[in-house]
Amino acid sequence: MDAKVTPGRTAGLYAGAAVLRLAIFTLLPALPDLLTGRVEISTPVTSFKRLQEGLFLYNHNVSPYDGGVYHQAPLLLPLFSLLPSFTSLPIFTYLLYIAVDLLSAGALWRIADSGEAGSSALFTSPRREKRWSGFVVAAAFLLNPFTVATCIGRSTSVFTTCAILHAIAKAVSGAPFGAMVALSFASYLSMYPLLLLPPLVLLAYDRQRPERATKSALQFAAVSASTVAGVVGVLFQMSYLLTGSWEFLPSTYGVQLTLSDLTPNVGLWWYFFIEMFDSFRSFFLAVFWLHLSSYVGGLTVRIRRQPLVVLTLLLGIFAIFKPYPSISDMALFLALVPLHRHVFPLMRYTFVSAAVIMYATCLGPAFYHLWIYAGSGNANFFYAVTLVWNLGLSLLVCDLMFAVLRDEWEVERPEMAGKEIRQI
Amino acid sequence: MRQFLSLLWLSLFSFSIFASAADYHEQLNLRPLPLSSLLASFNFRSNTTLDDFDKGNFRFFPRSLAQILQHAGTRELHLRFSLGRWDAETWGARPWDGAREGGTGVELWAWLEADTDEEADHKWLTLTNALSGLFCASLNFIDGTRTTRPVMSFQPEGDHSTVTNMHLLYGVLPHEVVCTENLTPFLKLLPCKGKAGIATLLDGHKLFDASWQSMAIDIRPICPPGGECVLQIEQTIDMVLDIDRSKRPRDNPIPRPPPGDQLPCDTSKPYNSHDTCFPADHTNQEWTLSQIFGKTVKGTCPLADSTIPPVCIQVPDSRSVFVSKDVHEKKNPDGLSRCFDIAPSTELEMMLPRLDEGASTTTDIVTPETPLLYAERSFTGHGQERGGVQTILRNPSPDTAVEFIYMESLPWFMRIYLHTMEARVAGHSHANKSLIQQVYYRPALDRARATQLEVRMRVPPASTVFLTYDFEKSILRYTEYPPDANRGFDVAAAVITILDPQPETIGSHGGGAAKSARRFAAYTLRTTSLLCSLPTPDFSMPYNVIIFTSTAIALTFGGMFNILVRRFVAADEGPEAGLAVVLGRLKGRLRGMLKR
Repeated sequence: MDAKVTPGRTAGLYAGAAVLRLAIFTLLPALPDLLTGRVEISTPVTSFKRLQEGLFLYNHNVSPYDGGVYHQAPLLLPLFSLLPSFTSLPIFTYLLYIAVDLLSAGALWRIADSGEAGSSALFTSPRREKRWSGFVVAAAFLLNPFTVATCIGRSTSVFTTCAILHAIAKAVSGAPFGAMVALSFASYLSMYPLLLLPPLVLLAYDRQRPERATKSALQFAAVSASTVAGVVGVLFQMSYLLTGSWEFLPSTYGVQLTLSDLTPNVGLWWYFFIEMFDSFRSFFLAVFWLHLSSYVGGLTVRIRRQPLVVLTLLLGIFAIFKPYPSISDMALFLALVPLHRHVFPLMRYTFVSAAVIMYATCLGPAFYHLWIYAGSGNANFFYAVTLVWNLGLSLLVCDLMFAVLRDEWEVERPEMAGKEIRQI
Repeated sequence: MRQFLSLLWLSLFSFSIFASAADYHEQLNLRPLPLSSLLASFNFRSNTTLDDFDKGNFRFFPRSLAQILQHAGTRELHLRFSLGRWDAETWGARPWDGAREGGTGVELWAWLEADTDEEADHKWLTLTNALSGLFCASLNFIDGTRTTRPVMSFQPEGDHSTVTNMHLLYGVLPHEVVCTENLTPFLKLLPCKGKAGIATLLDGHKLFDASWQSMAIDIRPICPPGGECVLQIEQTIDMVLDIDRSKRPRDNPIPRPPPGDQLPCDTSKPYNSHDTCFPADHTNQEWTLSQIFGKTVKGTCPLADSTIPPVCIQVPDSRSVFVSKDVHEKKNPDGLSRCFDIAPSTELEMMLPRLDEGASTTTDIVTPETPLLYAERSFTGHGQERGGVQTILRNPSPDTAVEFIYMESLPWFMRIYLHTMEARVAGHSHANKSLIQQVYYRPALDRARATQLEVRMRVPPASTVFLTYDFEKSILRYTEYPPDANRGFDVAAAVITILDPQPETIGSHGGGAAKSARRFAAYTLRTTSLLCSLPTPDFSMPYNVIIFTSTAIALTFGGMFNILVRRFVAADEGPEAGLAVVLGRLKGRLRGMLKR
């Protein structure tokens, strides 16, 4: 695997991925609606069916935020109402989703080709030669069943995925402004990407173009943060002008903060807050959010020399601890993992975590069916599978973190490569 | 003396005026229905002038209710307690054109006088809580999540030309079980308190054993042209009794098959031998008032207007009806009904004899009128995740289209997808956009507001229309489920208001308002209520879930920060630690002790 990728192969990969998706859309017309209805793919904040309802209300001059169904960002509404109606010409919606996936793959390709994973500004891995080309990384993303299922299920989280990948790609290629704008879009759509700001600022700071570099890190961080604040502010203002009121704020971000919609998903929050005693609900909401954001500081400080690793690990953690996670978050994490091909030999539990994730993937839909449709199981069945899924995912994240840290450590102690170690 | 006489004369005169303005009348209408059912409609109506009402002079108007109305600023009130299902296919059109019935459970709608929406909500809260105490019903559970403000479906029945700031609020409790404790306060509102007159027939055992029953209270101001405005209270009880069931003796209420020789056989069927019998389910049989209601009518209410006959029965003139003596029978000119005048202290017993074998069965009862529309509503789909609602609307008329407003008031945990709503004519596979003319939709807010959906539709003549939409069932917090969570949640009946095909010129205010309002709805019907089963969590293990989830989080958090904060060393470097060290120390100590 080297960088000798001909344009033909590139086009072939993109065309292959597009044709695969288009074939599923057209040859299996029942599958998109089936996947849209799956709780593993569509959450209350990303569901395409809810988007359609919001769009319908928006087009009929009813505020979609004055109700309990639509919890997505207001700017998606004009975007989708510009497209020809989904009921009459669904092909345009399909093409949009396919294009977004291809754009994400393109960004991923650029990140992989930059070599940032193996050698960042402050750190060069001794194993950096062992890496996968952009073609492989993009192919792993585009042909990942989780990515395909998300695209077929038309979850709006693909837009967030695309924005996050573009933010990273821009930062890697030395365009801090573009990175911050892309991150603002991601945050505007889903809120949680705002937590990626510290590592992304570091990544952009490390990869500045020398001719336009800002020396002071503080100044750079301030400029970046104000860029994000400014762009998000502009987006909010546009949303306000579009919907005519600020009620979209509690309805989109408030729902994520307070978890008022308890629809099952693959995460840990829903069943916990169904069973939570009313008097402790707000306390545990605060604890869960604090817990989610506690990783940002720790990882950013400890793995300062490799901000891309921090971003990867954080996306993995979000896929576990977000209020409304879905397999699209898993797909985003799995898209970034192949960038760190060089540390794969240092990972210890790849087989266990892969087996656990596959086990949960197969058992989740089955147990959900037993609970909801067959009536022969109860909610604990699906809950148990989500626990296993999240434990498997957290094992993978921990393992990757261990491998990266050991890789860093072996720069100081080159003689320890391949030897038994322990942590004190 | 002369002065005294004139005073007496004056007071008598004024009393007569007073009596004419504040009158009371009651009437029982019996109508035999096909398949040996009997519809009994009780109607009690009294008036009081608005002036007296404001001053607190209540004569026939119940003081307890009047004070609630005054306190809550209520201008018009409609309260319904209903049970069972009206079988329109067999029984035909509903009594009072459906205007005096509600959906299963309790239904309340009222026009309140308030300047702002908040004030209206506050008054509504006062009203529901007070009525809850008065009628021993859970009306206080009509909170924000069960209250809607219908826009198209209801129009005031009374005359409100002087009031401009009225708010209509509508609340419904489909889960409420209507029972005897609601009937007792209902009867206490009557001037004769159920001790005399036709109200003596009302007995909880029989009323709530009926196939269908509806108790209604309607209060509305009425301004007759040129007269003084009056506040009218109308109390109505309609019930459909199954004659076979009602005739069951009370001391032996368990149904047992009759002996073979008493079994009524269906003679229209061919028989192979003499000892076989196809039992005829609903034979035409004789009944008496005391068999059906368990008692007879005890005289008349002395306060009631004596010019209106208290009991009427709708049977063809060709049928004979036997009544006790001293009861005067008056046949109506149309030949389809007759009424009975009772002396104040006589008991009325009535018997409808069995028809002769030879008589044709079509003439023994008045053929029920065909309703303007048949409606059935049901759930589609399976599973506890999502589903659909399908309403089948059938217009039986061969030449007239029916235009109506379909109103649903759905609980918030049914998240409906309005973009999936479509109407199609039976036999066509595609939705017909022209059937739905206008939609008013107010989406639900989680835990705060119910969905309100009003659809103005038109069903072409002699056709059936399917109105469908999808919804998603949300999962609730475990404290929000009732104790019988797996029974499901009741969904209130849909209200269908058929608009009058030839409405009079609509005067927004003024004298014409009352007339045009009265002709607003030609017919009202309600579908049955539905039972929606939601997914349930496991109620037995909140602690387990909290512990398991917390453990998973602690494992991840601990594992991650463990890797983050500790230093790497080679396996043979650094201080000794772990189980081996502890064991080694223990061994050393043991050895030392043994050596000593």
